[in-house]
Amino acid sequence: MKDRIFRDILPNVSKPARYTGSEVNIICKDWDECRTKIAFAFPDVYEVGMSHVGSKILYGLINEKSDHLLERVYAPWPDMEKEMRSHEIPLFTLESFKAVNEFDVVGFTLQYELAITNVLNMLDMSDIPLWSKDRNEQYPLIIAGGPVVFNPEPYADFFDVFVVGDGEEVLLEFLDCCWENRHLKRQEQLLKLALLEGVYVPSLYSVHYNEDGTFNKMIPLYESVPDTIKKRVVADLDNAYFPVKPVLPYMNIIHDRAVLEVMRGCQRGCRFCHAGVVYRPVRERSIKTLKKQASEQLASTGYDEIGLTSLSTLDYSGVDSLVKDLVKEYREQGTGVSLPSLRVDAFSIELANEVQKVRKTTLTLAPEAGTQRMRDMINKNVSEEQLLTAVKAAFQSGWLSIKLYFMDGLPGETEEDLEGILELLKKIRTLGDENARKKVEIRASIASFVPKAHTPFQWQAQNTMEELEEKRRILSRNKMKRIKMSFHDSRTSYLEGVFSRGDRRLSASIYLAWQKGSKFDGWSEYFNFSRWMEAFRESEIKTEFYTSRLRSYDEVLPWDFIDTGVSKAYLQDEDEKAAAGITTGDCRWDGCTGCGICPAFAIDLDIKEEFRG
Amino acid sequence: MRLRAEYRVESNLKFLGNLDMMNLMTRALRRAGIPFALSEGFNPHVKLSMGTVLPVGVWGKQEYFDLELIQDMQSDEFIAKMNGVLPLGMEIQRCIKLEDKQAALMKIINAASYTFILKNSDYDYAALPDTLMSQDKLLVKSRGKQKGIDKDLRPGIFEITVNFHEESVMISILVNVGEPVNVRYDELLDLLKDHGVQYEEVLDIFRSENFMRTGNIFCSPFEKVR
Ligand code: SF4
Repeated sequence: MKDRIFRDILPNVSKPARYTGSEVNIICKDWDECRTKIAFAFPDVYEVGMSHVGSKILYGLINEKSDHLLERVYAPWPDMEKEMRSHEIPLFTLESFKAVNEFDVVGFTLQYELAITNVLNMLDMSDIPLWSKDRNEQYPLIIAGGPVVFNPEPYADFFDVFVVGDGEEVLLEFLDCCWENRHLKRQEQLLKLALLEGVYVPSLYSVHYNEDGTFNKMIPLYESVPDTIKKRVVADLDNAYFPVKPVLPYMNIIHDRAVLEVMRGCQRGCRFCHAGVVYRPVRERSIKTLKKQASEQLASTGYDEIGLTSLSTLDYSGVDSLVKDLVKEYREQGTGVSLPSLRVDAFSIELANEVQKVRKTTLTLAPEAGTQRMRDMINKNVSEEQLLTAVKAAFQSGWLSIKLYFMDGLPGETEEDLEGILELLKKIRTLGDENARKKVEIRASIASFVPKAHTPFQWQAQNTMEELEEKRRILSRNKMKRIKMSFHDSRTSYLEGVFSRGDRRLSASIYLAWQKGSKFDGWSEYFNFSRWMEAFRESEIKTEFYTSRLRSYDEVLPWDFIDTGVSKAYLQDEDEKAAAGITTGDCRWDGCTGCGICPAFAIDLDIKEEFRG
Repeated sequence: MRLRAEYRVESNLKFLGNLDMMNLMTRALRRAGIPFALSEGFNPHVKLSMGTVLPVGVWGKQEYFDLELIQDMQSDEFIAKMNGVLPLGMEIQRCIKLEDKQAALMKIINAASYTFILKNSDYDYAALPDTLMSQDKLLVKSRGKQKGIDKDLRPGIFEITVNFHEESVMISILVNVGEPVNVRYDELLDLLKDHGVQYEEVLDIFRSENFMRTGNIFCSPFEKVR
């Protein structure tokens, strides 16, 4: 198959290096010597999937530390898909060039809701039936993990199993269990797997709805099947596996650098943030571990950049000395350090300056909202003064452009809050002109708020399309010199909103949308909103039911059975505080704020270093 | 110190673009711990200059790069260290010390030879060199800068040779690179097709050599140094 692909197909497609495999540090294990074989499928194109840290962790963990085998496959770009289909080449993995349907397990990672159409397309390209009920033990087990599966219900009919929480904590156990039960019938295999913590087998439950369409309950069909699914958590991140020989791509990928995951989780408590809840509590790695990982990764890859990643890297207790030490150590070799979006304060700017010594980067800040009132409602604990001080410091130390992230469509938002964004941008521009040596460029990126499961705003109504369009009109009413505004597609946000709080009844719509040709929905050139609307209409789904309906606190929610550890009482309290404009502290600095996650997992915040800065 | 290296790119890496090749090489230099020189200022980069771009889809038998080092290094040591870290399908074959005043590769390489491996068939390949070389003009549609307009390849073609093997035929075409007529491999492919060679019969394409030509003399970038 490999020869045919190289000879007949790759000369005719764009970016063929996406499909050639044989990268530096690739691990090709002996097929016959290995136990469970899993194809790890990333439902987006190579350069996106290869940038995903979680995938790198699982790749190294399974291949280096177990007798199982894990190979990679990404969604072929439409030109490649066309060639493959016309040459009757099934979807294949990059290690062995074996067809995906020869594997025991196909594991998808769902990083965002709309990736689901690519999942269906990839199954179809593998000649695997799309619906779980149509697959017996002749087919691979189709499983999914990632942030999206904290509300797995909209996708429940396509997958045999969902794995909830930190993947490296559960995948080995999962593959062991598959191996031990490989001779059983599919149903019996599933019953065994359902006993593992963090593993959810949707076909083992019956789902019931109320007359008004709201969710009523979910009942396990067998006694042994648990009625709640508790997410898995790596308790000791510092000692957890992390790959120091990541696969090194030939072509440019989105995040083309060595990565250090300095911590997992975030303690800031922004009320709109899904990741902030589901990855709690904060667990850090020590500086010692991180430096070792940095030097080993650089030695094995030859990268000239080290990225520090996490949900809020500037909060990492060791960030100051880690950044300074890394810069000092690798500067000679021209190797730089990069920081993701910065925290809004002067200390962050100081660190950004440090990093700049080697490599120019863009300065990115996320105030999220334009007025203090709104920032208090979403619990973004940043004052205008802090923001302006930070920005001023940046301009004074030589930055000439700044990128800012905002959200619109937040609960309780008024025209004043939108005006607030514009006012703030103008203030920042003025500050720039007063403090920088040249005229400055401001770029503002505005995303629409999507209410997410497991957050304080999970009961809130999402803005309708009309409301969102109107808000955009207000925001872009007047052109402002040297301020560039860019907007996320509000139709995409709207659709994400349907799925983020959806239930099982949506599967028919997903299937129809795929049938009509939807794929790569995260890519504006392929996204087609009207096709989706048609699919909803044909499957008799009223999208407003999921998006713009304010839920009551006592409504049973389709994702309640997924136990992230957070208490519903805490979420409700936070939602009420939001309405009252009362902020909640940050549990790293201000003590526990009672979200319930630490006690639920009998762990604690794991802070490694003495913070300074 | 400056050095010039000759390397080989096998078929499994033929789909890499020029930027990919550069990254591959600089990352290998870093992994191998080569004492390369860096440019000054912000965003420092390795002082590496690659020869003419190897087209995507074509592999190369003898490709070249020049590199500046901050410390002297023996050729053997350089080759051993690099080959220890280069991926399968890429290998440094030779390396030589350069005098400081030697011009950059990109400027001096002005000819190359492309080899097309074809399935042997009824087609009269033996007659091909004469058929082509005896013509005044060999027109194809340009695939380069002025895409689509007629381009005469004839003045840019120096020699065509055909070698027969058991099941395949190898056609090697020695062409001009750069001014006045830059002959591309895909234009040659079009030329062959225009003369009745079936596209399906092309099994593989590689660049066999790069040259520095003066008049009728073709030297490799290594010979010129000596
Ligand atoms: S339980 Fe307390 S300390 Fe732990 S994450 Fe929640 S608020 Fe923070």
